[in-house]
Amino acid sequence: MRTVEPWVERPLTTFLEESSARIAAVLTPSGQVVAQHGFAAAPDLMAAASLAAGIMAATSELSRVIGAPPLRELAYEGHDVGIYLAAIELPGRRWLGLVAYGKDSSLGLVQLFFGELVKDLGRAAPPKPFALAGPAALDPDFEAELDRNLRALFGR
Amino acid sequence: MPRIDRMTREITCTLVYDGPARSGKSTNLRYLHGRARPGSRTSVSWSPDLDLLALDAGAVSGFRVRFQLYAVSGEEHRSVTRRMILQGADGVVFVADSQARRVDDNLAGWRALDADLDRRLPRVTQFNKQDLPVGLILAPADLAEVLGDDPGRGVPADALHGSGVFETFDLLSRLVLQQFA
Repeated sequence: MRTVEPWVERPLTTFLEESSARIAAVLTPSGQVVAQHGFAAAPDLMAAASLAAGIMAATSELSRVIGAPPLRELAYEGHDVGIYLAAIELPGRRWLGLVAYGKDSSLGLVQLFFGELVKDLGRAAPPKPFALAGPAALDPDFEAELDRNLRALFGR
Repeated sequence: MPRIDRMTREITCTLVYDGPARSGKSTNLRYLHGRARPGSRTSVSWSPDLDLLALDAGAVSGFRVRFQLYAVSGEEHRSVTRRMILQGADGVVFVADSQARRVDDNLAGWRALDADLDRRLPRVTQFNKQDLPVGLILAPADLAEVLGDDPGRGVPADALHGSGVFETFDLLSRLVLQQFA
């Protein structure tokens, strides 16, 4: 398992153990990965995260256009694999949960323990509205490098 | 918020060019498109509703930085598209038409942007068409005062001939990426 926010790890681990899900990812609405388990390759994870975020955004907009309440969950039950996509409502933040499960689990189990996951995340979340933590991505003097790149990009 | 993938080391930012109709939003993107190295223009789309230009800015601090630029139509009947695009914006350029006769249009566009956008989002004002005769336009400081904007964060421009276009994009890019420093 990999997590950006350490406090997400225990609730997600518990969910995986109880639901027997094969794959689980916690995402921001824009498709940024907060935590994941089960994805073997980064491109697969990126693709899944983008698609999941896009699906929820599209269905939410569709709900708004037709005057329906915002869509909170989507489920697909295939012959061998099921997929569950649902909102995770936390204080000051809304995330998405993407789950894939096999024949050793079921939609009902996943939904049941996903509800517990949301509660556990709510209890574990920091009290103040938070932003994704982690080391700063860019050097303090990134602007010089950015400026050089942009000037090269536009031939200046 | 800009999308950052720490696993693949990529940052993707969405910049939206907003403003009244015919203020020069698409002109900005077309100029940038024309000047960008062909290999770094990963996609482009021109339509009555929306213009899209994707640019690869290369590696910054080991992260590959990509920009998606949108120019939304300023026509009132296309406002649904505009609001949808603004919801995903990481930074906005308000392209103002410096012509004195368009003050009301600028003000209406400015107020609409205030209503549709989180005020904490990085924003740059471009005072376009500064190449027109002095008697026909407002100086940037005067137009900023009309809008209630800080004149210090604006960029005077003549987008048709490219003046101020790069500076506008460069300034907003830095503002958007500062949250990752």
